[in-house]
Amino acid sequence: MSLQGKLALVTGSGRGIGRAIALKLASQGINIVVNYFRHRESAEQTAKDIESLGVKAEVVRANVGDPEKIDGMFDMIGNKFGCLDILINNAASGVGRPAVDIDVKAWEWTMDINARALLLCAQRAAKLMEGRGGKIVSISSLGSRFVLPNYTIVGVSKAALEALTRYLAIELAPQSICVNTVVASAVETEALKFYFKEGLVKDSNQLTPAGRMVVPEDVANVVAFLCSEEAFMIRGQTIIVDGGTSVGLFALAGK
Amino acid sequence: MTVEDQVRDIVAKITRVDKSIITRQSTFKEIKADSLDVVQALVAVEETFGIEIPDEEAQKFQNFGDFVSYVESRVAQEEKV
Repeated sequence: MSLQGKLALVTGSGRGIGRAIALKLASQGINIVVNYFRHRESAEQTAKDIESLGVKAEVVRANVGDPEKIDGMFDMIGNKFGCLDILINNAASGVGRPAVDIDVKAWEWTMDINARALLLCAQRAAKLMEGRGGKIVSISSLGSRFVLPNYTIVGVSKAALEALTRYLAIELAPQSICVNTVVASAVETEALKFYFKEGLVKDSNQLTPAGRMVVPEDVANVVAFLCSEEAFMIRGQTIIVDGGTSVGLFALAGK
Repeated sequence: MTVEDQVRDIVAKITRVDKSIITRQSTFKEIKADSLDVVQALVAVEETFGIEIPDEEAQKFQNFGDFVSYVESRVAQEEKV
């Protein structure tokens, strides 16, 4: 089944992994709703680049940590397009602090954007996918299962996201909605520079058995596969894209 | 209440500092605003005044005065429209 003419919402697609996913899906003929929160210029650039691939792009601003803004975004999609085929739950935020310094405000901000947004977006998306099936793919990180410095809240929020992926996958399976998550190791993006010092890039190159850091396009390729009909029987899974880092740590430690 | 007073109230509430210490020369660092405080202040100001402050613009703010000046100019623009 061709993906041509389908409609995807990619949250947080102005930059980084979200942008790469939006462009990859657009290259397959899928029309894209580009969601952003803080970086309008980047989102508009992504939309231009999508349109240059011969498909439609619609830019919508919404903080996915705010339920009212999520409703507004889906109301717009419902009114304008009447349906949705693909939801990419990519937008993320967080505060880099040790566990002992996390306050309620930082916890709620991060959990609302990284974990609750999947719940609320999936609820609205499932309605727009009624009778036609669909794909929901989220983006997680290795911090959901491994301890990274000052990554506590984001790691916990990603663990919640992965658990929710499994529950949604089973609940939405009868509606032919496939729900999965792609887990990436450190990916070369601006967000990475925000959370970690430059040393991480050097370390990641050395710690990746595949010999280089994961780039956004590596993640986008797997997301695109999960959005294809070939992936129809993959449900509730977390697919790791890390160049072998997570399974190769002990082998590398011996070098 | 002026735009400056409203922005100062919002920033003081989010950063939990006494608003009397926030001057136009105050940097976010001086009022102990971390990156989350700054984003939440931007969002609260956007919602109060019905404007959008992209990060591309917010990153240029050196101090509270820059923030206020930007909001004042945007509010004035909105009033003209």
